[in-house]
Amino acid sequence: METIVRLEGVTKAYRGVPAVKNVTFDLRKGEIHALLGENGAGKSTLTKVIAGVVEATSGTMIHHGQEVSYKTPNEALEAGIAMVFQETSLVPSMTVAQNLYLGAEKFLNRLRGTYISAQQFLQSLNFPVDPTAMVETLGAAKKQMVEIARAVHHNAEIIIFDEPTATLTPEEKRHFFALVRRLKARGVSIVFISHALEEALMISDRITILRDGELVASGETREFDREKIIAAMVGRTLSAELYRQRDEAKLRKPGHKVLSVQDISMSNIVRNNSFSIFEGQITGVFGLIGSGRTETFKVVAGIYKRDFNRGGTIELDDKPVRYYVPREAVKDGIVYVTEDRKSEGFFETMSIAENIFGGLLAAGHEKAWVINAAEMRALSAEWTKMLNIRAINDNARVVELSGGNQQKVVIGKGLVQRPRVVIFDEPTRGVDVGAIAEIHQIINRLADEGLAVVVISSYLPEIMNLSDRILVCRQGRIVEEFSPAEATEEKIMYAAVH
Amino acid sequence: MILDPILDYFRGKAVTIPPLDGAFRPNTRLDDAHAFAALTEADNLAFRSGTLIASSGNAVYTLTADTEPAVLESFPSPVTALAVSPAGELAVALETGKLFIGGKEVALPSAIRCITALVYGADGALVLANGSAKHAPSAWAADLMEKGASGSVWKREAAGGEFREIASGLAFPYGLHPVADGVVVSESWRHRLLRIGGSGTPKTVIDKLPGYPARLSPAEDGGVWLSLFAPRNRLIEFVLQETHYRLDMMAEVPRDSWIAPALSSGRSFLEPLQCGGIRTMGIHKPWSPSRSYGLVVKLDASLQPLFSLHSRANGTRHGTTSAVEKDGTLYVASKGGDSVLAIDIATAEGR
Repeated sequence: METIVRLEGVTKAYRGVPAVKNVTFDLRKGEIHALLGENGAGKSTLTKVIAGVVEATSGTMIHHGQEVSYKTPNEALEAGIAMVFQETSLVPSMTVAQNLYLGAEKFLNRLRGTYISAQQFLQSLNFPVDPTAMVETLGAAKKQMVEIARAVHHNAEIIIFDEPTATLTPEEKRHFFALVRRLKARGVSIVFISHALEEALMISDRITILRDGELVASGETREFDREKIIAAMVGRTLSAELYRQRDEAKLRKPGHKVLSVQDISMSNIVRNNSFSIFEGQITGVFGLIGSGRTETFKVVAGIYKRDFNRGGTIELDDKPVRYYVPREAVKDGIVYVTEDRKSEGFFETMSIAENIFGGLLAAGHEKAWVINAAEMRALSAEWTKMLNIRAINDNARVVELSGGNQQKVVIGKGLVQRPRVVIFDEPTRGVDVGAIAEIHQIINRLADEGLAVVVISSYLPEIMNLSDRILVCRQGRIVEEFSPAEATEEKIMYAAVH
Repeated sequence: MILDPILDYFRGKAVTIPPLDGAFRPNTRLDDAHAFAALTEADNLAFRSGTLIASSGNAVYTLTADTEPAVLESFPSPVTALAVSPAGELAVALETGKLFIGGKEVALPSAIRCITALVYGADGALVLANGSAKHAPSAWAADLMEKGASGSVWKREAAGGEFREIASGLAFPYGLHPVADGVVVSESWRHRLLRIGGSGTPKTVIDKLPGYPARLSPAEDGGVWLSLFAPRNRLIEFVLQETHYRLDMMAEVPRDSWIAPALSSGRSFLEPLQCGGIRTMGIHKPWSPSRSYGLVVKLDASLQPLFSLHSRANGTRHGTTSAVEKDGTLYVASKGGDSVLAIDIATAEGR
């Protein structure tokens, strides 16, 4: 098969620190090539070199037999290389159709025509997105769909997908994979970056694995299995930690019923939802996107308000509570660790210490009117050590951290508030396997210490591995509860869908 | 938050049903259980001289393993409650409101006409639950739909004499359990258990039950078995709030098709709540809303729930009205499932 792009001995360094070291990588025409590695392994940097987002410090790139060096993404796009970014690069204040045609506008644009053609194009991809909707009103999954549609729309011969499925539901993933296969059939070459190893094994033709910026393995997909991939990615095997089957006898028994939610409603998103949360136990909540699981717990945490009329009851220690702002919930010991860490989880240009101390201030720190820098540093050092947050130095800004470490900062920011109930929403989304294992350890430790822990996740193996009880959410309410010992993916999915 | 109770008066209070979790976490233990005996509308269970007896229709049966139920005693109308005295004497209440002890009819105050439960205290005093002042026991659905609260509890001392009312204004008392300083009563329509002491003032010991509680019986470890004969569900709770609709329904719709709890369901397509809400792709969803359910709860000595046994929406052992324990085996009467079940308690508890 013809090699369409080849990188030879590529190195890319940021401020002298190499993110990618002497990597040789080739992409063949019409293949799906999975690029795997932990966060910070250099996957995104490598693909950014291909897509002209960053320039390689050394090494060469050969495209169609010619040595090239794209200076801008536009240049790469013109040469047929498109990249779908992990963080969507859409303009929030523009409509879906406008985003789709951004940069390809005509001198005179007829808005109606743009919408019609965008509608036809989105339908051809099986993406249920309204072209007239403002991007800022879309959920993460739909934003991702628009991003993918934009890349496909440019008729690129190489499309690089960076974590394309992280926010998609299983159903949406199926559509996405069908789309990728259609693109492949048309001769488009795909680079597919994912943390979901099963997806890489299922869809790709070849796999390349990076660790600490270096290429550690590359070959045909049939030569790999999950064990081999994990071992190559992290240098040790984690399968037993991440994908263990739970034994009924080892499940934590429910402690005191700390939270009783009865028939809470919020518009048509949360509908008469009832459940209880117990201390000393991890309650896993599974549901498809749109099932109301996040919204339910945001109501519990005071981020959203439940319906004023007949909105149900929330009882904390048998006393009814109604929070109008999250601060009241935090003071009562209910902490919500967001699924969207980039926009809700932290202040990205502030340091780890400032972020963690911010959590303390939000909880009503008694000396909030004056910030003691020494206290802040001490607190940061304590939590950085406890959560094993790895950064270049103590003053590192959160934006400079890898996804896993960013997530740990968000967790630390919540835990510093000394909660009794911790709600983790997609705690390992966009986090590599090594960090996933660490985050799982933190979550397990909290439950062992007697806290009531809720883990919302759309990743079934995570739910089945972590939870002591599994609640399934559908159409705005909890419809079923499973014990992890008896639950199967089929049973959970049936409950989530029907 | 402080104003909520006042605001609720104007905006309407939300219909809240306690979720089936914690000690009430659903399982299939009743459906998985061994059928000890097939008995049409098996209702009240008790032990007499070590033998299990059960009421069914107009008779009381003795039940032994691997044999057909044998009639112990027959009556002119359906039996609604039974109890065995410490001396082994059988007390039987009938649908007509009559009470027989040792085969002889006992004179009762005229206010007693709906005996739903009988229990002897350790001292030989007999306590009875009078479910409603208006309806017979079989018309319990009508009492619920009328939001009846005319039930009462009566006591006759061991020495004999008249029955004396010890509590009134109860919403269908359906189970009794003697305790040192009085009696614990299950109040079905208010989904709670009350302790009625010497003072006569009822005190709630557990409330917000997820179903309608029926009979109580002692466990061998000092705890209590509580049977719940039907589930609470949102639609029924809603109908209970809609007075005009409810009255029209009672006036115009046959009782079997009321939007009301039932001892069994799913046998007629005329029942409310059918189609996709119940069954999808050929699978009867266990979590679907159901008018009937089977639920037996083990309470500890302080009457707090420990664990429970279920027959869910897709099960058949519904309408659990009574459960009794002997030698590590729990016997459950499934009135809706026409059977008496035998369950090894250690296995059910997960020990």
